[in-house]
Amino acid sequence: MKTWPKTFVACASALAIAACGPSAEPEVQPAPPPAPTSILSVRDAWARAADSGAMTAVYFTVENTAAVSDTMSGVRTDAAEEAGLHMSMQSNGTMHMAPLRTLPMPAADSVLFRPMGAHVMLTRLTRALAEGDTVQVTLEFVSGQSLDVRAGVRTP
Amino acid sequence: MASDYLALMHRSSLVLLASIATLALTGCSEKPWHGIALDPASAAPPLTVAGALGLPATRFVLADLKGSVVLLYFGYTHCPDVCPTTLSDWARAKRALGADTAGVRYVFMSVDPQRDTPELAAAYAKQFDASFVGTAPSETELTMFLRDWGIAAYPEGDPRNNDYSVAHPAHTFVVDSEGRLRLMIPPGVRGEDLAEDVRRLR
Repeated sequence: MKTWPKTFVACASALAIAACGPSAEPEVQPAPPPAPTSILSVRDAWARAADSGAMTAVYFTVENTAAVSDTMSGVRTDAAEEAGLHMSMQSNGTMHMAPLRTLPMPAADSVLFRPMGAHVMLTRLTRALAEGDTVQVTLEFVSGQSLDVRAGVRTP
Repeated sequence: MASDYLALMHRSSLVLLASIATLALTGCSEKPWHGIALDPASAAPPLTVAGALGLPATRFVLADLKGSVVLLYFGYTHCPDVCPTTLSDWARAKRALGADTAGVRYVFMSVDPQRDTPELAAAYAKQFDASFVGTAPSETELTMFLRDWGIAAYPEGDPRNNDYSVAHPAHTFVVDSEGRLRLMIPPGVRGEDLAEDVRRLR
């Protein structure tokens, strides 16, 4: 005669008790855990010295140590009339510069802003930036976070 | 691994450069150049800019510099990233050359006549090294030398807005003391490597 294995019977009983027994759940649902978010930091920030009214670039490395990605969506500063994310790129021997609307911040990865690549462009500086000065820009992300970047100024 | 967007953008050109380097290595035992060697080298095209009246330093005639090695860059002064990086590399190369920099001329030629004057371009170049020469052409002069050199430069974005950017040649052109165009130095070749190439041409 065919018999059910003992473990199967035990599991089935446990299920039956869990499904039919009186509920031990509290009346109020617990708050859902917070959605995972990017963990962002910045290092190696510097800006090129320039005169008041001129333009310059800010460079740095942004690191995202979380297991979720994010997207850089903008930049603001008090140091210039305009600030934007830009990318220099070469095509058929010609150098171009294009504004970036957004820039992906992959999970557990870092993104380099460096000369002849991605950079923050500051247009019409409101004050001169001389060697030893510090200039601050704030990076904005789709997650709602922002990141303050304090960049030391270096001569060209 | 870091996401290096620059590396992505330049992957194709790097592959090309690597191929050229490999060819150079297999072709002969001579040490490869950091720049792209033009072989056979031919006479550099003419490049003449009248400059600012009353300011002879902004007048520029490439042919007058025979006897010197000339580093030449076509850029613009409202350039926040690539041009200052290149001119900083030149300044580093000049320091690395030390006494060997005698007989080398460093020339920044604007390709943005709408915003740059010869005086502005001269002042811009001097920010990087007092010996660097800078000047700017008229619209007519620009049209002529772009054609003669087979290079492209044009505004991008809205030129009615004063913040437009300018597409311009990526390379530093190097002319030897006999007036021949010998090397094109890609962006990203650092000062010491640039100095090594220049030293071989002196």
